[in-house]
Amino acid sequence: MTTFYINGQKVTANKNDTILSVARREGFYIPTLCYLTKVKPISSCRLCVVEVEGQNGFILSCQTPPVEGINVITDSQKLFTHRQNIMKMYDVNHPLECGVCDKSGNCDLQNKTLDFEVSSQEFSAKEQKRVIENWGFIKYDESLCILCERCVHVCNEVVGDNALKIGVGGYKSRIVRVEDSSCSECGECMAVCPVGALTTKDFQYKTNAWELQKIPATCAHCSSGCQIFYEVKHVGSCEKSDKKVYRVTNDVDINSLCGAGRFAYDFNNSSVKDKDKFEKAIEAFHVADTIVFNSYITNEEALILQRLKEKFGYKLINSSALKYQKFLQEFSKSAGSMLYNGTIEDIKSADFAIVLGSKISSDNPIVKYALNTAQKNRRAEICYLHPIQDEDIKQIVTQHIKYEVGSEEGVVALLLQLFLNQENLEDSLKSYIDELDIGYLSAESNIGEEELSKLKAKSIRKQNFVLVIGEDLITHKRAENIAKLIGLFQKYTQFKVIIIPTQTNTLGVSLICDLDEKKGNYSIGYNVKGNFTLSCFDGDLSMPSLNQQEGTFTTIDKRVVPTNVAISYNGYCLNDIANAIGLNKKYTIDYTIELPHEKGFIKKSFDELSNFYNLNGDDNRGYALENKVVNSIVAVESVEDIGEFNGTVVYRCESVNQFNYNTFVSKNLANDSFLIGSNQFAIAAKIGDGDEVEFSIGENLIKKVFKIDKKLKGTIAMNPSFDRLLSDDWVSSSYRYQKVTIKRVEG
Amino acid sequence: MKKGTQNYINIHTESSPQKPFEMFKQIVKRTFKGEMFVGLWIVFREMIRFNIHTIQYPKEKLPLSPRYRAVHKLLRLIESGNERCIGCGLCEKICIANCIRMDTKIDENSRKVVTEYTINLGRCIYCGYCAEVCPELAIVHGDRYENVSEQRAHFVLKDDMLTPLDLLKQKEQKEYPGFGAISDEADKFIKKTPLAY
Ligand code: SF4
Ligand code: SF4
Ligand code: SF4
Ligand code: SF4
Ligand code: SF4
Repeated sequence: MTTFYINGQKVTANKNDTILSVARREGFYIPTLCYLTKVKPISSCRLCVVEVEGQNGFILSCQTPPVEGINVITDSQKLFTHRQNIMKMYDVNHPLECGVCDKSGNCDLQNKTLDFEVSSQEFSAKEQKRVIENWGFIKYDESLCILCERCVHVCNEVVGDNALKIGVGGYKSRIVRVEDSSCSECGECMAVCPVGALTTKDFQYKTNAWELQKIPATCAHCSSGCQIFYEVKHVGSCEKSDKKVYRVTNDVDINSLCGAGRFAYDFNNSSVKDKDKFEKAIEAFHVADTIVFNSYITNEEALILQRLKEKFGYKLINSSALKYQKFLQEFSKSAGSMLYNGTIEDIKSADFAIVLGSKISSDNPIVKYALNTAQKNRRAEICYLHPIQDEDIKQIVTQHIKYEVGSEEGVVALLLQLFLNQENLEDSLKSYIDELDIGYLSAESNIGEEELSKLKAKSIRKQNFVLVIGEDLITHKRAENIAKLIGLFQKYTQFKVIIIPTQTNTLGVSLICDLDEKKGNYSIGYNVKGNFTLSCFDGDLSMPSLNQQEGTFTTIDKRVVPTNVAISYNGYCLNDIANAIGLNKKYTIDYTIELPHEKGFIKKSFDELSNFYNLNGDDNRGYALENKVVNSIVAVESVEDIGEFNGTVVYRCESVNQFNYNTFVSKNLANDSFLIGSNQFAIAAKIGDGDEVEFSIGENLIKKVFKIDKKLKGTIAMNPSFDRLLSDDWVSSSYRYQKVTIKRVEG
Repeated sequence: MKKGTQNYINIHTESSPQKPFEMFKQIVKRTFKGEMFVGLWIVFREMIRFNIHTIQYPKEKLPLSPRYRAVHKLLRLIESGNERCIGCGLCEKICIANCIRMDTKIDENSRKVVTEYTINLGRCIYCGYCAEVCPELAIVHGDRYENVSEQRAHFVLKDDMLTPLDLLKQKEQKEYPGFGAISDEADKFIKKTPLAY
């Protein structure tokens, strides 16, 4: 801890603090243009200069750690003139187009130009030919760019796509796309751009920033539950017109979004109260004995379903959440705590990370971002264990270990043997580890022993370990034993464990609901096909979408975070039905305070939940679940023989930026759902690029167009399921790899 | 006169009749007094005379000051005929009656165009802020002060305000000298940006 002074006031700095971060925490204003809390100091704008009393010259506060006892001056006539000169330079030849620019009103250049009282251009420079470029969904207007480099830094340090770089050339410098890079169209670069240089096609010139109403919410598409604002305004110029979401923004200084969160905001439903249909729904609830649902649901609605079960004995079917629930239960039995102990922050600050059983680039973008940040900023080793090599993250992964499909249990055992500290183990466990047949496991899983020892060698002298567990393991037929083994990781190794919840609120549902295995005779489907279907898409009774509801989600970070209504909904919601058949709460959010305490939820009402970060990045969103201690029983079973997965195998995985039907219906995202495989796969399956094919998984006949991806290798093809309307329960919970026979449909 | 007191003048000097018969007498007297015909005669005389000062509304209207603020006009650029409004939205923002609404989009030439522009004249207080804030001298106040329509919804759409192209061709679009117009000496304040070529 360092003590020093800012403008004469005593302040203290922690390790890794800079003068700027302390100043922000303590409420002193130092102007900045290029600084972003979430990336390393860029120091291109040099506005953040400060003076130190008694010393000559200026220092850059964004990257200078404070020295004991100094007095930092944040504002003086000299500093003002210096900063004013910087702004004068920025303004040279800057187009006078604030009148139409989308950024006007929240443009940093505009603000600082006014702050530093620059009202005319005194210098001149020969103007270059400046072009407007189309980068797919994003447009780059060079003449507005001030070369702050924020976009380049987020794309490298956060997103990990390394798609942008600076085309150096003095006054001619500009931002250029890295050839052959794979931009995932996340829109992060556009979001952090302090000026109007980067815009999107869906938003450009549609409205002025100040007309939009910001609704603080939580992204509904995946379990990261990112903080977002839905920005809404009326459509057209009629007074009584409906509202629509114009864009999604976020607290760009701190958090980041993926393309789905940023662009797939147009999934709202509209309806009016239809009494007849409502009566039919009530009737259906009277005859039904089962409710089928998925985890794209708020905690409150999950609790309503649970209450309905308690009161009327409905069976609750949500197989995907059930698998997760069982996994978590077995995990906690051997780990000794109800939840896993890792968070996204832990990944960011890790220096050794293992990702197991997840196609992380599409399964959970925020985990991918965090891994990338760890790799870029802490030189972390990122070891990716997966049967398919993923080109999208080749910039992030430092070691890819490929294993045979189906051998996940053996892989976990191998890792355990590698990292478990043998010293303080109970005897039974010690002998379990000793008896593992490493040779056999390594042969069956096809992981070479030298690969493992290389991995082990990399872990030496590392301090912060994380283990990320994906859906491949959760849906594995030996999931329960795998979960037990993973539990040992948390208990006996330094690894912090994160088990990625498969859908937005899988974690919440698995804590709140008492789920059943088998359906009854007559089912109500909630956004899943049932005998009577309630849905925000195409059901027997229309329901509000997730951006039309208030409530909370439980995120991967084990936090309960609130979301709000972006677009109002005039039809009925689940709470209306629940009230009509015997529960009694005026609003859905009246359930927030009653979320099960014994599972770690805190007695807080919805209105007590905040939803923001402060400038230093402290998370003030909702609350963190209490991670309760449970009795730990070590009862791991021996590894079962590994079955063979030969021939053509399809892997259920969504394309980047797609998660489910909510993202599929968005007009702003590419939503082709092809079966994508390698050349080798095409040969093995005897199909060609562009062929229409069909295959069946379980009882589901799936028809798709096949596309060859030249970058892919091996005989596993990607089979996205996000386009399935009312995606049936089974599809989202079966083992992700399926052996199939692929037939070409003659057309 | 003492400060704080009022100086009342009684203009009705006769005392009011109390008895019913007196009241009746007053009514008769007032009803048949010849003065009424004096008034009627004056009206009749003026009706048939020429060269009078009465404005023959609605055939004639009083000339208005340029600063008069009535129903808005949207002007066009004189040379090109393009709409002056660039859709900056400042008028919408500044309007204290919150009665301006607009909708914009990007057109084929990548320019921002205003697709809809309405002013709810039922709510507008004719303060002139919109005309004053407009950086393009696009929205101005006109002199049309009669607002008659069957529906409030007709108050007022973009097409009603925008200078029709034929009028523009006939050079009928007048520059607006009133509220929000540039001052006569505006040229004096212009600083030239140094250019390097
Ligand atoms: S980037 Fe900012 S300063 Fe430049 S035209 Fe747009 S709003 Fe104005
Ligand atoms: S959209 Fe995302 S991936 Fe693409 S250039 Fe921008 S930050 Fe990089
Ligand atoms: S495009 Fe925007 S974020 Fe990128 S360098 Fe230019 S001004 Fe900065
Ligand atoms: S989809 Fe997931 S990662 Fe993307 S913005 Fe939403 S919550 Fe975040
Ligand atoms: S202020 Fe003028 S230019 Fe701007 S939107 Fe209004 S009328 Fe158009």
